[in-house]
Amino acid sequence: MNMNSLDPRVNRLPVIGKPGQIEPKATLDQFGTFEVFVQPKEGKPFQHEGIVHAPNLEMAFVLAKEAFTRRFMCVSIYVVDTRHVYTSPMTEGNTSVFEFIHETPAQPGEKISYEIYQLVKRGKQHVHAGTVQAVTPQEAMSEAKKVFNTDKVIYNLWAIRTRDIRFTKPEEQELWLTLPEKKFRDASAYKAGDKLTEFLDKQKNQKFYGN
Amino acid sequence: MNELALKELLYKMADDQLILGHRNSEWTGFGPLLEEDIAFSSMAQDKIGQSYALYSILHALGEQEPDTIAFTRHADQFHNCILTELPNGEYDFSLIRHFLYDTAEIIRFEMLTQSSYKPLAELAVKVRAELRYHTLHANTWVKQLGSATEESISRLQHSLEYALPYALGIFEESPYEKELVAEGIFGGEQALKEKWKTKVEEVISQTQLQLPDWKTMQPIFGGRKGKHSEHLQPLLDEMSEVFNIDPTAEW
Repeated sequence: MNMNSLDPRVNRLPVIGKPGQIEPKATLDQFGTFEVFVQPKEGKPFQHEGIVHAPNLEMAFVLAKEAFTRRFMCVSIYVVDTRHVYTSPMTEGNTSVFEFIHETPAQPGEKISYEIYQLVKRGKQHVHAGTVQAVTPQEAMSEAKKVFNTDKVIYNLWAIRTRDIRFTKPEEQELWLTLPEKKFRDASAYKAGDKLTEFLDKQKNQKFYGN
Repeated sequence: MNELALKELLYKMADDQLILGHRNSEWTGFGPLLEEDIAFSSMAQDKIGQSYALYSILHALGEQEPDTIAFTRHADQFHNCILTELPNGEYDFSLIRHFLYDTAEIIRFEMLTQSSYKPLAELAVKVRAELRYHTLHANTWVKQLGSATEESISRLQHSLEYALPYALGIFEESPYEKELVAEGIFGGEQALKEKWKTKVEEVISQTQLQLPDWKTMQPIFGGRKGKHSEHLQPLLDEMSEVFNIDPTAEW
């Protein structure tokens, strides 16, 4: 049936179903998830921003760009399939995650590079700590313990194979070139608060002068 | 500099961006998935921003304020190609239009980075950067859906065949082609069309879609001369509805 809405766009939507015809509901389908990492400024580490749903890695990159860098400063992003993120146990209080990561004996096989992310505050984002060389994700975590274990309490670690990541290509860096100019995307640029104050002041004055 | 030729070029480009930006914004809240809704809406916003920048150049050349130009003209005063004003229909058509149109636009602005008219050359560098995302988005979707399922392939194929004659209308020649080329303002619609065809072929050849023979296609012209389909005036009425309630309001 056609919908009848005050929004003309709703009235133009395709008709759902056929009159007089009853059909079973289609099975629910859902794309897989991909993790999105953003570099807010040149020289700053990448940080985890959230996830997107997408049919594949390349589409995830395309969709992540607007989902997570529509407004805030960004110079580069990368995405990886959620299933390729290896996570350590989560700790709390003064307990560092490194207490639960045990040294892994040298593994047979070729060492490859892993990106290590750490959580330094509960409720915040995972931030890139650096890269290690390892054969397995377990070994990568053990390597991370050697390199990144300082006095600071770390609550959680992630290890991601570098080769599983879809990085921003050099020629794509200009995707964010005009972002700082797009002030119209920031609610604050509309100065709604100032306009409201001005309006209320005007009203007050009108009452005062008994308009 | 031939100002008439320059203005004609600026008007048609700005009108294209405004009308397609408005059409694409009609998907806001109705996109096929949340992430795509955000991406498509952002690109619609970019296009309207690009039209604003072009209308501002026209304003500096003595034309009316951008809002006046955008919201107070009648359909026959618009120079956008008919492709941009066609109703959205279903997502496959919007996607194919986005692909065919933005492929042309990134090449147009690439050419304009060399324009002898400096304000346009400078703007073109920025617009090209935005369009790089628009074409990455369009190409990735077309490659994805153009090889995915029987339904997605046949829907895109149908929309492609419907949209192509309108897309060729993008390149309807201006009365000033010779002047634009001679003065180095713009390389001309013919040169643009040839580069566009090559790029369209390159992307479509990576899918299971079939590109009809160019020779069998009859371009649909008229838009550049103010001869539009019945779809433009209702779009303009809707777009300017709020503006017309109080044209002097400050937003």
